[in-house]
Amino acid sequence: MLVWSRSGRRLAWFLAALLFAVIYGLPIAMIALASISGQWNGVLPSHLTLMHFANSVQGESGDQLRVSIMTGAIASAVALVSGTCAALALRRIAGAPKRLLDAIFFIPSAVPSVSVGLGLLVAFSQPPVLLNGTTLIVVIAHFVLISAFTYGSVSAGLGRLAPDYEQVAESLGARAFYRLRRVTLPLVAPYLIAAFSLSFAFSMGELGATVMVYPPGWVTLPVGIFSLSDRGAIFDAAALTIILAVTTLIVLIGLSRVSTKAAVR
Amino acid sequence: MKVPTLPSAANHHPALPGNPPPCPSSQAGEGSGGRRGRVWEGDAGGLRRGKAAASDPAGASSGIAFEDVTVAYGALVVLDSLSLVVKPGEIVALIGPSGSGKTTALRAVAGFVRPTRGRILIGERDVTNVPPHDRNIGMVVQNYALFPHMRAEENVAFGLRARRAPDAVLRERVPECLRMVGMAAYAKRYPRELSGGQQQRVAIARALAIRPQVLLLDEPLSALDAQIRRSMLEELARLHRDLPSLTVLYVTHDQTEALTLANHIGIMRDGKLVAFGSAQSLYRHPPNRFAAEFLGRANLLPVKALVSDVGGLTHVRFGDAPLLARNHHGLPAGSECLLCIRPHDLRIHAGDPATAPLRGTVRAVQWQGEMHSIALEVGGHPLRLTCAPLKAPPEPGEMLALHFDPEDATLVPEDGDG
Amino acid sequence: MAELSVAVPRRAPRDFAGLWIGPPLLILAGLFLYPLALILRETLTGGTAVLSLGHFAEVLGSALFRTALYHTIIIALGSTAGCLALGFVFSLIIAFVPFPGARLLARLIDTFIALPTFLIALALTFIYGSAGLLNEGLMRLLHLDLPPIDFLYSQWGVILSEITVYTPFVMRPLLASFSLIEPAQIEVASSLGARPFRIIRQIILPAALPALLAGGSLCLLLTVNEFGIVLFIGAKDVITLPLLIYDKAIQEFDYTTACVIAVANIGLSLGLFSLYRLAVSRFEDRRHAGLV
Repeated sequence: MLVWSRSGRRLAWFLAALLFAVIYGLPIAMIALASISGQWNGVLPSHLTLMHFANSVQGESGDQLRVSIMTGAIASAVALVSGTCAALALRRIAGAPKRLLDAIFFIPSAVPSVSVGLGLLVAFSQPPVLLNGTTLIVVIAHFVLISAFTYGSVSAGLGRLAPDYEQVAESLGARAFYRLRRVTLPLVAPYLIAAFSLSFAFSMGELGATVMVYPPGWVTLPVGIFSLSDRGAIFDAAALTIILAVTTLIVLIGLSRVSTKAAVR
Repeated sequence: MKVPTLPSAANHHPALPGNPPPCPSSQAGEGSGGRRGRVWEGDAGGLRRGKAAASDPAGASSGIAFEDVTVAYGALVVLDSLSLVVKPGEIVALIGPSGSGKTTALRAVAGFVRPTRGRILIGERDVTNVPPHDRNIGMVVQNYALFPHMRAEENVAFGLRARRAPDAVLRERVPECLRMVGMAAYAKRYPRELSGGQQQRVAIARALAIRPQVLLLDEPLSALDAQIRRSMLEELARLHRDLPSLTVLYVTHDQTEALTLANHIGIMRDGKLVAFGSAQSLYRHPPNRFAAEFLGRANLLPVKALVSDVGGLTHVRFGDAPLLARNHHGLPAGSECLLCIRPHDLRIHAGDPATAPLRGTVRAVQWQGEMHSIALEVGGHPLRLTCAPLKAPPEPGEMLALHFDPEDATLVPEDGDG
Repeated sequence: MAELSVAVPRRAPRDFAGLWIGPPLLILAGLFLYPLALILRETLTGGTAVLSLGHFAEVLGSALFRTALYHTIIIALGSTAGCLALGFVFSLIIAFVPFPGARLLARLIDTFIALPTFLIALALTFIYGSAGLLNEGLMRLLHLDLPPIDFLYSQWGVILSEITVYTPFVMRPLLASFSLIEPAQIEVASSLGARPFRIIRQIILPAALPALLAGGSLCLLLTVNEFGIVLFIGAKDVITLPLLIYDKAIQEFDYTTACVIAVANIGLSLGLFSLYRLAVSRFEDRRHAGLV
C-alpha cells in the first residue's frame, strides 16, 4: 500500500478511473455504439439498429469470418506442432548451436509483417514453387508470423518444468516417447494451450502480411473490415470488428477454461 | 495433520526383486550380464510368494557398488574416486554438508550423472553406461515429483505401465503398494489433494511398485515439518523391517535420519568419502575430527597419547590433567591427537573435586525442556555437557568438577585442517 | 585399479533427440529464410541478372524514404514513451493502491493484447474523427462550421492509437516485477517517513527498471512495425516504412523499391529486437517471469 490517506487513495483511483475510461472505455463504447447505430449525424446516433450485424452474418462477411477462423486454426495448429518440436529438440542441444538456433526460431517475430508478406510474394511468384494467388500462401504468412510466438511460449513452459518429473519417470522405466506423451506434454499443456490461443488471436487480427498476399477467394475478416471502412461503410466495419473481437475472445476464454482444467489436474 | 500409520500386517509385502526370471523382452548385449530389471512374473502369484522371497536371505536382492567413481565438470571435481559397497538388503546413508557430493553419488546410481571415471554396479551388472530407464531403480526425490496430472494410483502404476506390465499385475500391485505405505484410502486423490507426508508415501509406493533392485532416497524427508518427519522416519524403518531384502541408498544432511535408519553411514566432504562404517561404530569411534563433529555433537580436547594400558585403555595428557580413553584407531604412543567425548557422556562429579579428572568454569546454562545443556571452559577449551534436568543447576562462573567413563572416550587423529 | 585410474572416454550419450530440430528448421528455412534471401537478392539485382548497390543508394537517398523513416521513428518513440508513462501509472495503482476489482481490471487491459490493433484506430475515428463525438459536440456547442479538432489524421492520431494498443505490453512485465517487491519494503519506507513520490523514485522505479527496459524495447519493436493502425487512420502525410512497402508493392507493383525499403525496415527491426532480447535477458536474470 503506497498511499495511506483515504483522500489520497481516492484521488489516485479517480485519476486512474478517468484515464482508463478515456483511453479504453470510451473507444470500446463508441465502436460498440457505432456498430448498432442507424444514422449518426449529431453528437450521438439518432436511432439504433441491428442491421449492420445482420449484414455481416450473411453474404461475404460471413465467409470472411469463416476464412479467418480456418486460417487462424490451421496456422496456429501447425505452428504449435512445429514450435513444440523445435522447443523439445532444442533442450537436447547445448552451447553455441543452441543459442544460434534459439535466435533463428525467434527472428520471425522481429520481422515486420508487411515484409514477411512481401518476401512470400517475391519468393512464391517465381519457380520452383508458385503459390501466389493460393489460399495456402495466406496460411503460410500467418504461420511464419506466429511461429516464433509459439516456440517462445513452449520453450518458456519447458524451461519452468522441474527436471525431477522427467527424471523420476525415466528412473521408473519410461522411455523417451512414453515420457513425452505421459509426463512432459501433459505438464506443459497450459503453455501449449496458451500458445495456441494467443497465436489464434493474433492470426484473427493479422492485417499486414495478409493484405500483401491474399487472393480474391480467401479474404480474411480484417481485410474485409479495411475495405469496408475504405469504402466509407464504417458502421458495417464497426459491427464486423465487434464480431471479430467477440469471436476471438470467445475462443480465448474457452481455451483458457480448458487450460485451467489441464493445470488443475 | 493426521498421518495414517502403516498397516503392520506382514502378509502384504510384495515380493522383492529377488532373482527375477530374465525378461523375454530384454535386449541382449546391453549391460554386462547380471539380473535384468523387468520383474513381473506375469502372475499375481508372485505377490503371494512375496513373503518367502522377502525373507529369503540367500542373496535375493542386489547391492550397489561404486568402484573408483569420479564425476567432474571440466576442472570441477564433484565426486572424487568414490569406492563404496552397499550390501544387498542394507540401508546405507550418505551424509555430509551441501556440496559434499552425496547427491551426485546417488544421481550417478540413478544414471542422471555420468561418471568421468570408474564403474557403478547394481547387483552383478555394470550399469555405468546403461540409460536410467533400464536400470531398474526406484527413486524418491526431495519434493516427491508426483505427477500432478495423475491420481495417486496412476502415479503408482506409472512405472508398470511404462514397462507394459499386464493389467493383472497392475490390478494386483498398485493397491498392494498403496496399502504398504498406508495410502490405500487415497488412491483416487490427486497429489495436490494430499499433504506433504501423504505425497511422500505415494512417492515411495510409486518407487516400490516396479520392484526396483535398489531404492534411492534423496533427502526424502527434508521437505516435511519436524513432527511429520519423525513419524515418517519410523515408518521408513518399519517399511524396511517389512521388506528386509530391499537395498536402500539414502542421502541426507540430517544425522538423526542417518543414525535411525542406516546400517552403515558414509560421511562425505568436498566430494570425498571421509568416513564409512556402521552407524554405531562411526558414532562411538569417529575416525576423524570431521566425522566426530558432523555425526552428533562432540567435545574434542587436544591431548597427547602416552602409553597403552593393558585394559585397552590409553593414558593421555590434556594439559596437565591425566585422562584415560579408548585408543580404537590404534594411534601411536606419543602422538598429538584429540579426545572425543559426547556431551551426554560427561557427568558432574559428585565427590571430592580434587579426585575429578576435569574441572571447568561454567559459562552458560541452558534448560532445553528434556535436558540441561551446560557450556564450560576447561583449560581454555570449550566443553559441553548435557544431562537430565537438574533441580539446582550451576550458575555461570561456578567451578564444576567432571568425570566420564574412559570407555566412552575415543582418541581421534587430528585432520590437519579440521 | 591402475587401468581404471586412466580417464576412460565415455560413449557419447545415445541421444538423437536433438535431431528433431530438423523438420521445424526446414520449414522455417523454406517459408521464412528463403523469402528473406530473395528479398535481399531482389534489392541487389532489381529483377535483372546484374548485381549492384544502385537500387539501394537510389531508394535510401529518396525523400520519400527519408520522410517515411522519420515518421516511423517519431511515431515509435512517441508511442513508446506514452506506453511507458501510462503503463507505469496503471501498474502502480493496480499493484500498490489496490482496490476491489484491480486484478480484474489488469486482466481486462491484458486482453487488449489479443484484439486486432486496428480496432482502436477505427474506434478513435468515432471519437476524434471529423464527424466524431468530440468534433460534433464542439461544433454544436460553439456553433462552428468546421471540425475544430484535427489531430487524428496526423501522426498524433497514430501515436494515440498505438499508446492505447501497446500499453498492455508494458504492463505485463511491470506488474510481474511489482509483484516481486516485498510489501514490507514499502511499509518500512513509509514508517521511516518516506512520502509516496520518494518511495516510487527510490524503491519502485529501480526495481522496475529492467521491466521498463524490456517492455519499452518490445514497444519500440512493435510500433516500428505497426501497419494496421497507420493504414486505418489513413492520414495522407503519415507514411511509415511498412505502409510505404505496401504502397510500393501492391499499389505500384514496384517490387524492387519495396524490397529495398523492406531490407531497411528489417534491419531496424532486428536491431530493436536485439535490444529487446538483451533487456529481457537482464530482466530474467532477476528471476522475473511474465514475459513471452
